[in-house]
Amino acid sequence: MIELLALPALACAALVAIHSYFGIHVLKRQVIFVDLALAQVAALGATAAFLLGHLPQSLAAHAYSLGFTLVAAAVLASTRTWSGRVPQEAQIGVIYVVSAAAALLLVERAPQGAEHIRQILTGNILTVGWDELRWAIPLYAVVGLVYPRIHVRQPWLAEFAFYAAFGVVVTSSVALAGVLLVFAFLIIPAAIGMLHANTFRSQLIVAWVTGTATALVGLAVSYLGDYATGATLVCTYGFALAIAAVAQALRMPQEKGAMAHVTLRFARWLGAALLAASGIGVAIWPRADQPLLDAMERAFPAIRSAYMDGKSQAIAEEAASFSERYRDEAAKLRAREEERRWKGEPLDEVEVRRIGSFLKSYNEMIRGEEFVMREVRSRAREQNRWWISGILVLLALSLVVSLPSKRTTPRNFGGERGSIGP
Amino acid sequence: MLLTVVATTPELESLASSVGGDLVSVSHIVPAGQDAEAFQPRPQDLARIRAARAVIRVGVDYDLWLDRLLAQSRGVQVIDASTDVALLDVRAGGIGPGDGHAHGRGNPHYWLDPVNAEMITATILEAFIRMDPPNAKRFEANRLAFLSRLDSKLADWSHRLKNVPPLVAYHDTWSYFARRFRLRFIGIIETRPGVAPSPAHLTGLIETARKEKAGIVVREAHESQRDADFIAARSGAKVVTLASHGDDYLSLIDEDVRRLAK
Repeated sequence: MIELLALPALACAALVAIHSYFGIHVLKRQVIFVDLALAQVAALGATAAFLLGHLPQSLAAHAYSLGFTLVAAAVLASTRTWSGRVPQEAQIGVIYVVSAAAALLLVERAPQGAEHIRQILTGNILTVGWDELRWAIPLYAVVGLVYPRIHVRQPWLAEFAFYAAFGVVVTSSVALAGVLLVFAFLIIPAAIGMLHANTFRSQLIVAWVTGTATALVGLAVSYLGDYATGATLVCTYGFALAIAAVAQALRMPQEKGAMAHVTLRFARWLGAALLAASGIGVAIWPRADQPLLDAMERAFPAIRSAYMDGKSQAIAEEAASFSERYRDEAAKLRAREEERRWKGEPLDEVEVRRIGSFLKSYNEMIRGEEFVMREVRSRAREQNRWWISGILVLLALSLVVSLPSKRTTPRNFGGERGSIGP
Repeated sequence: MLLTVVATTPELESLASSVGGDLVSVSHIVPAGQDAEAFQPRPQDLARIRAARAVIRVGVDYDLWLDRLLAQSRGVQVIDASTDVALLDVRAGGIGPGDGHAHGRGNPHYWLDPVNAEMITATILEAFIRMDPPNAKRFEANRLAFLSRLDSKLADWSHRLKNVPPLVAYHDTWSYFARRFRLRFIGIIETRPGVAPSPAHLTGLIETARKEKAGIVVREAHESQRDADFIAARSGAKVVTLASHGDDYLSLIDEDVRRLAK
């Protein structure tokens, strides 16, 4: 695990370090999707270079990417000053879609071109190599050290310097980690920092610490749960932001305890609403999907045995065991055919067809058994719908009734204002 | 008068030309080297299909984008080249969470088994004879000449691929090729199309590749070079880029064999 995840962890730390810095700026400027637009413009540059005969990873391709990104930076710097009527996010969106579409048109002219755009835009943090990091980390360090020391009074130049520095970073980082993950690195640690700290320096420190810790947790979850790394990291960052938001609400000193109370009330009302909806759903459409009831049954199988009689349970269990048996048989058959591709006597076409036809039959039989399981359960729910529904509605009511009736007395924040009379 | 036929992929065009000879004008839609499953048709593709007597498709859910074009083109005969092929990797459960190709009916890369070219050309021959009965004998003669060329190549390809070490594939494209040439693929990098592999899967794959002494990681040009390099570097294998589509059917298989045997 360590061998496989060491470089991705290092890459995450480096990406969090530089993107948190730019993320705080991006949030303050309210140009949230600028990284997507700049990454797409860089991809357009690389595609143009490829079409002109340069290899994808050559110096010329990087120069084209950088050139295109700097042009986009100049456009963004210029439009910020005259965009009073149109939000700059709209212009960013236009830059994104136009460069994406232009890249597609260019790709059509280049044989085997699509993969280059795809590889630029869909990096994979799990397979990041040292040969990439040894360039990316010094680049981030230089940008991180030099850009904050650039003090330009002329507003256009200041804007251009920001977008150019950010564009250089994003062009590199999207190729390392992919668009989704770079967006998460950029926005979420910075948002957590801004939620929990006031000065730029302290916001940056909070963003670095929480961003790196979240990345390490995400990598571990991805490994232990056998999930795709990029997607797991993005979801972990989303979860971290939710926790940070709740923590921020709970630690507000002037409303100590009030937010916890509100959160609890909200959770109870939500639970009660879901239980009541499920109860009404069972009563009106007993054969329809009941996601809440299904989830409860998975967590507590005793619920199903409470409303299904012994005969129905026996039928459902038999269908489940047959379904499992057919799956095993199908897996054995597939394994046998796959092994005979290279080992022992090869199977002739007739045998291959026969195996294919057996697999199709197993498929049908598995579906049949699944239908039996669903049907037995649906019938049991239909027969017992009134009391299942009644219990769910009662559970919903109990949640609502158990809410504390005493409301938290609102603090008199408007005391001074109240004293100002006409 | 020439029969005008459009094939979805270049190798199907090549096989159709082998049967049709100078009696048929064949073109293809997806350029060689592009991902045929993710292809986005252009307006001229629709015009070509509307002007054609027949369209030859891979089928097995491979060129689903064709359905929208066919819905707007009446009177075009559709020739499904997979009709008489014995399909591999038929998944019990069809489209679902299982590993391997996401296609319900089976693995659609059947043309990569050169022996399947016999069945594909038989399906095409039958359709051509139905559309142009007076030239039936010439179509049959063309097909037999092609099959004779194929037969002479087949023994040579099998011989050259005799000592190929165990392989890892990026995607489950090579099942038919492996079966015909007795190649052992020990694992797949991207088990679910379009979903990046998980760390646990890659760890298991690297361990298997080391244990089984995998010598080659196979990818196509549109599949991630970096992921293939990652597995190759950790298992001591080399990366070989193969093509599953090509303008000339025999040259396509020939080139893939040459790259693997090198």
